[in-house]
Amino acid sequence: MNANVRRNWFLQGIVSVGDCGLFFVAVLGALPKSLRYWRETCRQVWFVGAMSLVIVMTCGLFVGMVLALQLYYTLSIFGGTAALGTVVALSLFRELGPVITALLVAGRAGTAVTAEIGLMRATDQLDAMSMMAVDPLAYVASPRFLAGVVAMPLLACVFNAMGIFGGHLVGVTWLGLDNGTFWGNMTATVDLRKDILEGLYKSIVFGGVVSLIAVFQGYTAPPTSEGVAYSTTRTVVFSSIVILAFDFVMTTFMT
Amino acid sequence: MSAAPAKSESSADALVRVSGLRTRIGSKTIFDGLDLGVPRGSITAIMGPSGTGKTTLLRHLSGQLRPDAGSVVVDGEEVTNLSRAGLFALRERIGYLFQNSALLTDFSVFENVAFPLRQHTNLPETLIRNIVLTKLQAVGLRGAARLMPSELSGGMARRVALARAIVFDPMLILYDEPFVGLDPIALNQVLRLIRTLNKTLGITSILVAHELAAIRQVADRVYLIANGKLVAQGAPDELEHQDSPWTRQFFGGEADGPVPFHYPAPDYASELGFGRGAR
Repeated sequence: MNANVRRNWFLQGIVSVGDCGLFFVAVLGALPKSLRYWRETCRQVWFVGAMSLVIVMTCGLFVGMVLALQLYYTLSIFGGTAALGTVVALSLFRELGPVITALLVAGRAGTAVTAEIGLMRATDQLDAMSMMAVDPLAYVASPRFLAGVVAMPLLACVFNAMGIFGGHLVGVTWLGLDNGTFWGNMTATVDLRKDILEGLYKSIVFGGVVSLIAVFQGYTAPPTSEGVAYSTTRTVVFSSIVILAFDFVMTTFMT
Repeated sequence: MSAAPAKSESSADALVRVSGLRTRIGSKTIFDGLDLGVPRGSITAIMGPSGTGKTTLLRHLSGQLRPDAGSVVVDGEEVTNLSRAGLFALRERIGYLFQNSALLTDFSVFENVAFPLRQHTNLPETLIRNIVLTKLQAVGLRGAARLMPSELSGGMARRVALARAIVFDPMLILYDEPFVGLDPIALNQVLRLIRTLNKTLGITSILVAHELAAIRQVADRVYLIANGKLVAQGAPDELEHQDSPWTRQFFGGEADGPVPFHYPAPDYASELGFGRGAR
Protein backbone atom coordinates (compact mmCIF):
# COMPACT_ATOMS: atom_id res chain seq x y z
CA MET A 1 0.00 0.00 0.00
CA ASN A 2 1.60 3.28 -1.02
CA ALA A 3 1.53 6.53 0.93
CA ASN A 4 -1.21 8.10 -1.23
CA VAL A 5 -3.59 5.19 -0.72
CA ARG A 6 -2.88 5.23 3.02
CA ARG A 7 -3.55 8.98 3.14
CA ASN A 8 -6.80 8.56 1.19
CA TRP A 9 -7.97 5.86 3.58
CA PHE A 10 -7.13 8.09 6.51
CA LEU A 11 -8.91 11.09 5.00
CA GLN A 12 -11.88 8.93 4.07
CA GLY A 13 -12.05 7.74 7.67
CA ILE A 14 -12.01 11.33 8.97
CA VAL A 15 -14.75 12.28 6.49
CA SER A 16 -16.89 9.28 7.55
CA VAL A 17 -16.54 10.18 11.24
CA GLY A 18 -17.53 13.77 10.39
CA ASP A 19 -20.53 12.56 8.37
CA CYS A 20 -21.57 10.31 11.24
CA GLY A 21 -21.30 13.28 13.64
CA LEU A 22 -23.49 15.43 11.39
CA PHE A 23 -25.95 12.55 11.05
CA PHE A 24 -26.05 12.25 14.84
CA VAL A 25 -26.95 15.94 15.12
CA ALA A 26 -29.66 15.49 12.45
CA VAL A 27 -31.09 12.46 14.28
CA LEU A 28 -31.14 14.40 17.56
CA GLY A 29 -32.83 17.28 15.73
CA ALA A 30 -35.50 14.92 14.42
CA LEU A 31 -36.14 13.37 17.85
CA PRO A 32 -38.89 15.81 18.93
CA LYS A 33 -40.73 15.21 15.65
CA SER A 34 -40.25 11.46 15.99
CA LEU A 35 -42.19 11.48 19.28
CA ARG A 36 -45.26 11.73 17.03
CA TYR A 37 -44.38 8.26 15.84
CA TRP A 38 -44.39 6.72 19.31
CA ARG A 39 -45.98 3.55 17.97
CA GLU A 40 -43.01 3.09 15.65
CA THR A 41 -40.62 3.75 18.54
CA CYS A 42 -42.41 1.15 20.69
CA ARG A 43 -42.24 -1.33 17.81
CA GLN A 44 -38.50 -0.75 17.55
CA VAL A 45 -37.99 -1.10 21.33
CA TRP A 46 -39.82 -4.41 21.03
CA PHE A 47 -37.62 -5.44 18.10
CA VAL A 48 -34.29 -4.37 19.62
CA GLY A 49 -35.18 -5.27 23.22
CA ALA A 50 -37.70 -8.08 23.50
CA MET A 51 -36.53 -9.90 20.39
CA SER A 52 -32.95 -9.91 21.71
CA LEU A 53 -33.96 -11.42 25.04
CA VAL A 54 -33.29 -15.04 24.09
CA ILE A 55 -29.70 -14.47 22.99
CA VAL A 56 -28.98 -12.07 25.86
CA MET A 57 -30.43 -14.39 28.51
CA THR A 58 -28.70 -17.47 27.13
CA CYS A 59 -25.33 -15.76 26.82
CA GLY A 60 -25.74 -14.14 30.25
CA LEU A 61 -26.37 -17.52 31.82
CA PHE A 62 -23.32 -19.15 30.24
CA VAL A 63 -21.03 -16.16 30.87
CA GLY A 64 -22.03 -16.25 34.56
CA MET A 65 -21.42 -20.00 34.74
CA VAL A 66 -18.01 -19.82 33.07
CA LEU A 67 -17.06 -16.82 35.18
CA ALA A 68 -17.94 -18.68 38.38
CA LEU A 69 -16.04 -21.77 37.28
CA GLN A 70 -12.88 -19.85 36.36
CA LEU A 71 -12.98 -17.58 39.40
CA TYR A 72 -13.66 -20.45 41.78
CA TYR A 73 -10.50 -22.14 40.52
CA THR A 74 -8.46 -18.93 40.79
CA LEU A 75 -9.87 -17.92 44.19
CA SER A 76 -9.36 -21.40 45.60
CA ILE A 77 -5.60 -20.99 45.03
CA PHE A 78 -5.67 -18.13 47.53
CA GLY A 79 -8.36 -19.64 49.75
CA GLY A 80 -10.80 -16.92 48.86
CA THR A 81 -13.73 -18.82 47.36
CA ALA A 82 -16.09 -17.00 49.74
CA ALA A 83 -15.64 -13.91 47.56
CA LEU A 84 -16.99 -15.72 44.49
CA GLY A 85 -20.41 -14.01 44.53
CA THR A 86 -18.82 -10.59 44.93
CA VAL A 87 -16.33 -11.03 42.12
CA VAL A 88 -18.91 -12.49 39.73
CA ALA A 89 -21.32 -9.63 40.45
CA LEU A 90 -18.67 -6.90 40.15
CA SER A 91 -17.34 -8.35 36.89
CA LEU A 92 -20.83 -8.47 35.45
CA PHE A 93 -22.14 -5.12 36.68
CA ARG A 94 -19.04 -3.08 35.89
CA GLU A 95 -17.72 -4.66 32.68
CA LEU A 96 -19.08 -7.83 31.19
CA GLY A 97 -22.77 -6.99 31.41
CA PRO A 98 -22.68 -3.69 29.49
CA VAL A 99 -19.93 -4.75 27.05
CA ILE A 100 -21.15 -8.23 26.09
CA THR A 101 -24.77 -7.07 25.88
CA ALA A 102 -23.72 -4.26 23.54
CA LEU A 103 -21.70 -6.67 21.38
CA LEU A 104 -24.65 -9.08 21.23
CA VAL A 105 -27.13 -6.34 20.37
CA ALA A 106 -24.78 -5.00 17.68
CA GLY A 107 -24.64 -8.48 16.16
CA ARG A 108 -28.35 -9.25 16.38
CA ALA A 109 -30.32 -6.01 16.21
CA GLY A 110 -27.68 -3.63 14.80
CA THR A 111 -27.13 -5.67 11.67
CA ALA A 112 -30.88 -6.10 11.18
CA VAL A 113 -31.44 -2.35 11.49
CA THR A 114 -28.67 -1.61 8.99
CA ALA A 115 -29.94 -4.17 6.49
CA GLU A 116 -33.53 -2.97 6.87
CA ILE A 117 -32.71 0.71 6.34
CA GLY A 118 -30.21 -0.12 3.58
CA LEU A 119 -32.86 -2.08 1.71
CA MET A 120 -35.37 0.71 2.26
CA ARG A 121 -32.82 3.03 0.65
CA ALA A 122 -32.15 0.60 -2.22
CA THR A 123 -35.87 0.17 -2.96
CA ASP A 124 -36.56 3.94 -2.82
CA GLN A 125 -38.77 3.61 0.26
CA LEU A 126 -36.92 6.43 2.04
CA ASP A 127 -37.25 8.66 -1.03
CA ALA A 128 -40.93 7.70 -1.28
CA MET A 129 -41.46 8.80 2.34
CA SER A 130 -39.67 12.03 1.64
CA MET A 131 -41.89 12.55 -1.44
CA MET A 132 -44.95 11.99 0.76
CA ALA A 133 -43.64 14.84 2.94
CA VAL A 134 -42.72 12.44 5.75
CA ASP A 135 -39.22 13.03 7.13
CA PRO A 136 -37.38 9.65 7.01
CA LEU A 137 -35.04 10.86 9.75
CA ALA A 138 -37.99 11.35 12.09
CA TYR A 139 -39.92 8.26 11.00
CA VAL A 140 -37.11 5.75 10.43
CA ALA A 141 -33.81 6.89 11.96
CA SER A 142 -34.77 8.55 15.25
CA PRO A 143 -37.15 5.82 16.55
CA ARG A 144 -34.48 3.17 15.93
CA PHE A 145 -31.83 5.29 17.65
CA LEU A 146 -34.10 5.92 20.61
CA ALA A 147 -35.00 2.23 20.80
CA GLY A 148 -31.32 1.29 21.14
CA VAL A 149 -30.77 3.81 23.93
CA VAL A 150 -33.84 2.57 25.83
CA ALA A 151 -33.41 -1.17 25.26
CA MET A 152 -29.68 -1.54 25.91
CA PRO A 153 -29.64 -0.82 29.69
CA LEU A 154 -32.71 -3.02 30.16
CA LEU A 155 -31.03 -5.86 28.30
CA ALA A 156 -27.83 -5.35 30.30
CA CYS A 157 -29.87 -5.72 33.52
CA VAL A 158 -31.33 -8.98 32.23
CA PHE A 159 -27.84 -10.15 31.21
CA ASN A 160 -26.48 -9.35 34.69
CA ALA A 161 -29.37 -11.13 36.41
CA MET A 162 -28.89 -14.22 34.29
CA GLY A 163 -25.12 -14.06 34.81
CA ILE A 164 -25.51 -13.99 38.58
CA PHE A 165 -28.02 -16.82 38.36
CA GLY A 166 -25.48 -18.81 36.30
CA GLY A 167 -22.74 -17.99 38.83
CA HIS A 168 -24.98 -19.14 41.66
CA LEU A 169 -25.83 -22.30 39.76
CA VAL A 170 -22.17 -23.24 39.41
CA GLY A 171 -20.80 -21.83 42.67
CA VAL A 172 -23.54 -22.89 45.09
CA THR A 173 -25.50 -25.71 43.44
CA TRP A 174 -22.61 -27.45 41.72
CA LEU A 175 -19.40 -26.61 43.61
CA GLY A 176 -21.06 -26.50 47.04
CA LEU A 177 -20.31 -22.92 48.13
CA ASP A 178 -22.50 -21.73 50.99
CA ASN A 179 -25.61 -19.93 49.74
CA GLY A 180 -25.55 -17.30 52.50
CA THR A 181 -21.87 -16.55 51.88
CA PHE A 182 -22.50 -16.15 48.16
CA TRP A 183 -25.34 -13.64 48.56
CA GLY A 184 -24.12 -12.04 51.76
CA ASN A 185 -20.69 -11.06 50.47
CA MET A 186 -22.20 -9.89 47.21
CA THR A 187 -24.81 -7.61 48.73
CA ALA A 188 -22.32 -6.26 51.26
CA THR A 189 -19.75 -5.30 48.64
CA VAL A 190 -21.63 -4.25 45.53
CA ASP A 191 -22.38 -0.52 45.63
CA LEU A 192 -25.51 0.76 43.91
CA ARG A 193 -24.05 4.05 42.68
CA LYS A 194 -20.48 3.04 41.97
CA ASP A 195 -21.03 -0.39 40.50
CA ILE A 196 -24.59 -0.80 39.25
CA LEU A 197 -25.32 2.73 38.05
CA GLU A 198 -21.94 3.14 36.37
CA GLY A 199 -22.62 -0.06 34.46
CA LEU A 200 -26.00 1.32 33.45
CA TYR A 201 -24.47 4.59 32.25
CA LYS A 202 -22.12 2.56 30.10
CA SER A 203 -25.07 0.62 28.69
CA ILE A 204 -26.92 3.80 27.77
CA VAL A 205 -23.85 5.14 25.95
CA PHE A 206 -23.26 1.80 24.21
CA GLY A 207 -26.93 1.72 23.22
CA GLY A 208 -26.60 5.14 21.62
CA VAL A 209 -23.34 4.25 19.89
CA VAL A 210 -24.53 0.90 18.50
CA SER A 211 -27.84 2.25 17.23
CA LEU A 212 -26.21 5.37 15.77
CA ILE A 213 -23.68 3.26 13.86
CA ALA A 214 -26.39 0.83 12.70
CA VAL A 215 -28.75 3.56 11.53
CA PHE A 216 -25.96 5.61 9.91
CA GLN A 217 -24.56 2.61 8.04
CA GLY A 218 -28.03 1.70 6.78
CA TYR A 219 -28.92 5.25 5.83
CA THR A 220 -25.72 5.75 3.85
CA ALA A 221 -25.51 2.23 2.38
CA PRO A 222 -24.92 2.19 -1.37
CA PRO A 223 -28.19 1.02 -2.98
CA THR A 224 -26.83 -2.33 -4.15
CA SER A 225 -26.86 -5.82 -2.65
CA GLU A 226 -23.09 -5.62 -2.16
CA GLY A 227 -23.41 -2.15 -0.61
CA VAL A 228 -26.00 -3.31 1.94
CA ALA A 229 -23.94 -6.41 2.78
CA TYR A 230 -20.80 -4.33 3.26
CA SER A 231 -22.61 -1.79 5.43
CA THR A 232 -24.04 -4.58 7.59
CA THR A 233 -20.55 -5.98 8.13
CA ARG A 234 -19.25 -2.51 8.96
CA THR A 235 -21.95 -2.10 11.61
CA VAL A 236 -20.60 -5.10 13.53
CA VAL A 237 -16.94 -4.21 13.03
CA PHE A 238 -17.26 -0.51 13.90
CA SER A 239 -19.67 -1.15 16.79
CA SER A 240 -17.33 -3.72 18.34
CA ILE A 241 -14.32 -1.44 18.08
CA VAL A 242 -16.15 1.64 19.35
CA ILE A 243 -17.80 -0.26 22.23
CA LEU A 244 -14.43 -1.52 23.50
CA ALA A 245 -12.75 1.85 22.98
CA PHE A 246 -15.56 3.73 24.76
CA ASP A 247 -15.47 1.13 27.53
CA PHE A 248 -11.82 1.88 28.15
CA VAL A 249 -12.37 5.64 28.10
CA MET A 250 -15.43 5.50 30.38
CA THR A 251 -13.76 3.09 32.78
CA THR A 252 -10.78 5.43 32.97
CA PHE A 253 -12.97 8.34 33.98
CA MET A 254 -15.29 6.39 36.26
CA THR A 255 -12.75 4.55 38.41
CA MET B 1 -43.86 21.63 -34.45
CA SER B 2 -40.73 23.33 -33.15
CA ALA B 3 -37.27 23.34 -34.59
CA ALA B 4 -34.38 21.97 -32.59
CA PRO B 5 -32.74 23.21 -30.50
CA ALA B 6 -36.09 24.08 -29.09
CA LYS B 7 -37.29 26.39 -26.43
CA SER B 8 -40.52 25.40 -24.77
CA GLU B 9 -43.60 27.57 -24.95
CA SER B 10 -43.79 29.74 -21.86
CA SER B 11 -47.51 29.98 -21.34
CA ALA B 12 -48.81 31.99 -18.43
CA ASP B 13 -50.77 29.01 -17.08
CA ALA B 14 -47.73 26.72 -16.93
CA LEU B 15 -47.80 24.68 -13.72
CA VAL B 16 -44.12 23.83 -14.09
CA ARG B 17 -41.49 26.15 -15.53
CA VAL B 18 -37.83 25.24 -15.82
CA SER B 19 -35.38 27.88 -17.01
CA GLY B 20 -31.64 27.85 -17.50
CA LEU B 21 -31.25 24.58 -15.59
CA ARG B 22 -27.63 23.53 -15.16
CA THR B 23 -26.59 20.38 -13.31
CA ARG B 24 -23.34 18.50 -13.05
CA ILE B 25 -23.06 15.18 -11.29
CA GLY B 26 -19.41 14.30 -10.75
CA SER B 27 -17.61 15.17 -13.95
CA LYS B 28 -20.70 14.68 -16.13
CA THR B 29 -22.84 17.58 -17.31
CA ILE B 30 -26.48 16.50 -17.05
CA PHE B 31 -28.23 19.76 -17.93
CA ASP B 32 -26.65 22.69 -19.70
CA GLY B 33 -29.26 25.42 -19.81
CA LEU B 34 -32.50 23.44 -20.06
CA ASP B 35 -35.75 25.38 -20.52
CA LEU B 36 -39.24 23.91 -20.59
CA GLY B 37 -42.77 24.55 -19.41
CA VAL B 38 -45.63 22.21 -18.59
CA PRO B 39 -49.19 23.59 -18.94
CA ARG B 40 -51.77 22.86 -16.25
CA GLY B 41 -53.96 19.86 -16.89
CA SER B 42 -51.72 18.44 -19.61
CA ILE B 43 -49.95 15.09 -19.93
CA THR B 44 -46.35 15.79 -20.86
CA ALA B 45 -43.79 13.15 -21.71
CA ILE B 46 -40.08 13.64 -21.17
CA MET B 47 -38.08 11.45 -23.52
CA GLY B 48 -34.48 11.05 -24.44
CA PRO B 49 -31.59 8.62 -24.63
CA SER B 50 -30.66 6.64 -21.51
CA GLY B 51 -28.55 8.59 -19.04
CA THR B 52 -29.67 11.93 -20.38
CA GLY B 53 -31.09 13.07 -17.04
CA LYS B 54 -34.85 12.47 -17.32
CA THR B 55 -35.17 11.05 -13.80
CA THR B 56 -32.79 13.75 -12.57
CA LEU B 57 -35.23 16.31 -14.00
CA LEU B 58 -38.06 14.77 -11.96
CA ARG B 59 -35.83 14.92 -8.89
CA HIS B 60 -35.29 18.63 -9.56
CA LEU B 61 -39.01 19.22 -9.96
CA SER B 62 -39.74 17.52 -6.64
CA GLY B 63 -36.85 19.19 -4.84
CA GLN B 64 -35.01 15.95 -4.14
CA LEU B 65 -31.98 17.35 -5.92
CA ARG B 66 -30.90 20.97 -6.19
CA PRO B 67 -29.45 22.15 -9.50
CA ASP B 68 -26.16 24.01 -9.80
CA ALA B 69 -27.94 26.93 -11.48
CA GLY B 70 -31.27 27.85 -13.00
CA SER B 71 -34.84 28.09 -11.88
CA VAL B 72 -37.49 25.43 -11.22
CA VAL B 73 -40.93 26.89 -10.55
CA VAL B 74 -43.83 24.61 -9.58
CA ASP B 75 -47.23 26.20 -9.04
CA GLY B 76 -45.59 29.60 -8.65
CA GLU B 77 -43.07 28.45 -6.04
CA GLU B 78 -39.34 28.50 -6.71
CA VAL B 79 -38.40 24.95 -5.69
CA THR B 80 -34.67 25.69 -5.48
CA ASN B 81 -35.23 28.32 -2.76
CA LEU B 82 -37.76 26.44 -0.65
CA SER B 83 -36.94 25.55 2.94
CA ARG B 84 -37.38 21.94 4.08
CA ALA B 85 -40.80 22.78 5.52
CA GLY B 86 -41.80 24.60 2.34
CA LEU B 87 -40.62 21.69 0.24
CA PHE B 88 -42.64 19.22 2.31
CA ALA B 89 -45.71 21.48 2.01
CA LEU B 90 -45.28 21.52 -1.78
CA ARG B 91 -44.79 17.75 -1.90
CA GLU B 92 -48.17 17.25 -0.25
CA ARG B 93 -49.56 18.59 -3.55
CA ILE B 94 -47.34 16.41 -5.75
CA GLY B 95 -47.67 12.68 -6.37
CA TYR B 96 -44.57 10.73 -7.38
CA LEU B 97 -44.70 7.31 -8.94
CA PHE B 98 -41.34 5.60 -8.55
CA GLN B 99 -40.00 3.26 -11.19
CA ASN B 100 -39.98 0.34 -8.74
CA SER B 101 -43.21 1.47 -7.01
CA ALA B 102 -41.36 1.97 -3.67
CA LEU B 103 -44.18 0.52 -1.59
CA LEU B 104 -43.45 0.28 2.14
CA THR B 105 -42.80 -3.43 2.50
CA ASP B 106 -43.88 -3.67 6.16
CA PHE B 107 -47.35 -2.36 5.38
CA SER B 108 -50.30 -3.93 3.58
CA VAL B 109 -51.72 -2.42 0.41
CA PHE B 110 -54.37 -0.63 2.47
CA GLU B 111 -51.83 0.79 4.92
CA ASN B 112 -49.55 1.90 2.09
CA VAL B 113 -52.33 3.99 0.57
CA ALA B 114 -53.44 5.22 4.00
CA PHE B 115 -49.87 6.17 5.01
CA PRO B 116 -49.91 9.81 3.76
CA LEU B 117 -53.37 10.36 5.26
CA ARG B 118 -52.29 9.03 8.65
CA GLN B 119 -49.16 11.18 8.64
CA HIS B 120 -50.71 14.49 7.59
CA THR B 121 -54.29 14.43 8.81
CA ASN B 122 -56.28 13.58 11.90
CA LEU B 123 -59.18 12.13 9.94
CA PRO B 124 -61.35 9.55 11.70
CA GLU B 125 -60.59 5.94 10.83
CA THR B 126 -63.89 5.46 8.97
CA LEU B 127 -63.12 8.39 6.66
CA ILE B 128 -59.56 7.17 6.04
CA ARG B 129 -60.98 3.76 5.20
CA ASN B 130 -63.46 5.26 2.74
CA ILE B 131 -60.84 7.42 1.01
CA VAL B 132 -58.39 4.52 0.71
CA LEU B 133 -61.03 2.16 -0.65
CA THR B 134 -62.14 4.84 -3.14
CA LYS B 135 -58.58 5.21 -4.44
CA LEU B 136 -58.05 1.46 -4.57
CA GLN B 137 -61.33 1.10 -6.44
CA ALA B 138 -60.09 3.70 -8.94
CA VAL B 139 -57.04 1.57 -9.72
CA GLY B 140 -59.06 -1.66 -9.64
CA LEU B 141 -57.41 -3.12 -6.55
CA ARG B 142 -59.99 -2.70 -3.79
CA GLY B 143 -60.02 -6.47 -3.47
CA ALA B 144 -56.28 -6.53 -2.84
CA ALA B 145 -56.41 -4.16 0.14
CA ARG B 146 -55.24 -6.80 2.61
CA LEU B 147 -52.39 -8.14 0.52
CA MET B 148 -48.76 -7.37 1.33
CA PRO B 149 -46.50 -5.78 -1.32
CA SER B 150 -44.58 -9.06 -1.68
CA GLU B 151 -47.80 -10.72 -2.85
CA LEU B 152 -48.34 -8.27 -5.74
CA SER B 153 -47.25 -8.51 -9.35
CA GLY B 154 -45.23 -5.64 -10.85
CA GLY B 155 -48.31 -4.16 -12.53
CA MET B 156 -50.39 -4.39 -9.34
CA ALA B 157 -47.61 -2.79 -7.30
CA ARG B 158 -47.45 0.07 -9.82
CA ARG B 159 -51.22 0.59 -9.49
CA VAL B 160 -51.07 0.55 -5.69
CA ALA B 161 -48.28 3.13 -5.86
CA LEU B 162 -50.51 5.18 -8.14
CA ALA B 163 -53.39 4.94 -5.65
CA ARG B 164 -51.02 6.14 -2.93
CA ALA B 165 -49.78 8.98 -5.17
CA ILE B 166 -53.33 10.28 -5.73
CA VAL B 167 -54.63 9.81 -2.20
CA PHE B 168 -54.30 13.56 -1.54
CA ASP B 169 -55.74 14.51 -4.97
CA PRO B 170 -52.48 16.18 -6.04
CA MET B 171 -52.20 18.93 -8.63
CA LEU B 172 -49.22 17.23 -10.28
CA ILE B 173 -48.09 13.63 -10.67
CA LEU B 174 -44.55 12.76 -11.70
CA TYR B 175 -44.29 9.31 -13.27
CA ASP B 176 -40.79 7.81 -13.45
CA GLU B 177 -40.80 5.11 -16.14
CA PRO B 178 -44.35 3.93 -15.34
CA PHE B 179 -44.44 1.34 -18.15
CA VAL B 180 -41.16 -0.48 -17.53
CA GLY B 181 -41.53 -4.23 -17.03
CA LEU B 182 -45.29 -4.31 -17.53
CA ASP B 183 -47.03 -6.90 -19.68
CA PRO B 184 -49.40 -5.48 -22.34
CA ILE B 185 -52.46 -5.89 -20.12
CA ALA B 186 -50.90 -4.10 -17.14
CA LEU B 187 -49.43 -1.45 -19.45
CA ASN B 188 -52.85 -0.68 -20.89
CA GLN B 189 -54.34 -0.55 -17.40
CA VAL B 190 -51.73 1.99 -16.28
CA LEU B 191 -52.20 3.99 -19.50
CA ARG B 192 -55.94 4.09 -18.96
CA LEU B 193 -55.46 5.19 -15.36
CA ILE B 194 -53.14 8.03 -16.32
CA ARG B 195 -55.64 9.27 -18.91
CA THR B 196 -58.62 8.90 -16.57
CA LEU B 197 -56.92 10.72 -13.69
CA ASN B 198 -55.93 13.51 -16.02
CA LYS B 199 -59.43 13.93 -17.40
CA THR B 200 -61.54 13.39 -14.30
CA LEU B 201 -59.38 15.13 -11.69
CA GLY B 202 -57.61 17.60 -13.96
CA ILE B 203 -54.23 16.43 -12.67
CA THR B 204 -51.17 17.63 -14.56
CA SER B 205 -48.95 14.68 -15.40
CA ILE B 206 -45.29 14.50 -16.33
CA LEU B 207 -44.08 11.12 -17.57
CA VAL B 208 -40.56 9.93 -18.10
CA ALA B 209 -40.78 7.01 -20.50
CA HIS B 210 -39.22 5.30 -23.51
CA GLU B 211 -42.25 3.45 -24.87
CA LEU B 212 -43.18 5.38 -28.01
CA ALA B 213 -46.44 3.54 -28.64
CA ALA B 214 -47.66 4.22 -25.12
CA ILE B 215 -46.56 7.85 -25.23
CA ARG B 216 -48.39 8.31 -28.53
CA GLN B 217 -51.61 7.14 -26.85
CA VAL B 218 -51.42 9.21 -23.71
CA ALA B 219 -49.23 12.32 -24.05
CA ASP B 220 -50.38 15.74 -25.21
CA ARG B 221 -46.83 16.96 -25.63
CA VAL B 222 -43.36 15.44 -25.78
CA TYR B 223 -40.07 17.04 -24.81
CA LEU B 224 -36.99 15.34 -26.21
CA ILE B 225 -33.89 15.96 -24.09
CA ALA B 226 -30.36 15.14 -25.18
CA ASN B 227 -26.91 16.48 -24.40
CA GLY B 228 -28.30 18.45 -21.47
CA LYS B 229 -30.67 20.51 -23.61
CA LEU B 230 -34.14 20.39 -25.07
CA VAL B 231 -33.58 19.28 -28.65
CA ALA B 232 -37.17 18.90 -29.83
CA GLN B 233 -40.71 19.33 -28.64
CA GLY B 234 -44.22 18.93 -29.95
CA ALA B 235 -47.19 16.59 -30.10
CA PRO B 236 -46.09 12.93 -30.38
CA ASP B 237 -47.26 12.56 -34.00
CA GLU B 238 -45.61 15.82 -35.06
CA LEU B 239 -42.35 14.93 -33.40
CA GLU B 240 -42.11 11.55 -35.09
CA HIS B 241 -42.16 13.23 -38.48
CA GLN B 242 -39.82 16.06 -37.57
CA ASP B 243 -36.67 16.02 -39.67
CA SER B 244 -33.81 16.49 -37.25
CA PRO B 245 -30.95 14.11 -36.52
CA TRP B 246 -32.17 13.66 -32.93
CA THR B 247 -35.79 12.85 -33.77
CA ARG B 248 -34.74 10.65 -36.71
CA GLN B 249 -32.49 8.58 -34.50
CA PHE B 250 -34.73 8.48 -31.45
CA PHE B 251 -38.09 7.87 -33.10
CA GLY B 252 -36.58 5.82 -35.95
CA GLY B 253 -34.68 3.65 -33.50
CA GLU B 254 -31.40 4.08 -35.41
CA ALA B 255 -28.44 2.47 -33.64
CA ASP B 256 -26.01 5.26 -34.51
CA GLY B 257 -26.44 8.99 -34.88
CA PRO B 258 -26.12 12.01 -32.59
CA VAL B 259 -26.17 9.43 -29.79
CA PRO B 260 -23.17 7.30 -30.76
CA PHE B 261 -23.39 3.51 -30.61
CA HIS B 262 -19.88 3.30 -29.15
CA TYR B 263 -19.01 4.62 -25.74
CA PRO B 264 -15.97 6.93 -26.08
CA ALA B 265 -12.85 4.76 -26.25
CA PRO B 266 -9.26 4.90 -27.49
CA ASP B 267 -8.47 3.87 -31.07
CA TYR B 268 -9.61 0.28 -31.61
CA ALA B 269 -6.64 -0.83 -33.74
CA SER B 270 -4.14 0.63 -31.26
CA GLU B 271 -5.86 -1.07 -28.36
CA LEU B 272 -5.69 -4.42 -30.17
CA GLY B 273 -2.00 -3.83 -30.82
CA PHE B 274 -2.29 -3.23 -34.59
CA GLY B 275 -1.71 0.51 -34.48
CA ARG B 276 1.38 2.41 -35.50
CA GLY B 277 4.25 1.70 -33.10
CA ALA B 278 2.49 -1.29 -31.57
CA ARG B 279 4.63 -4.37 -31.05
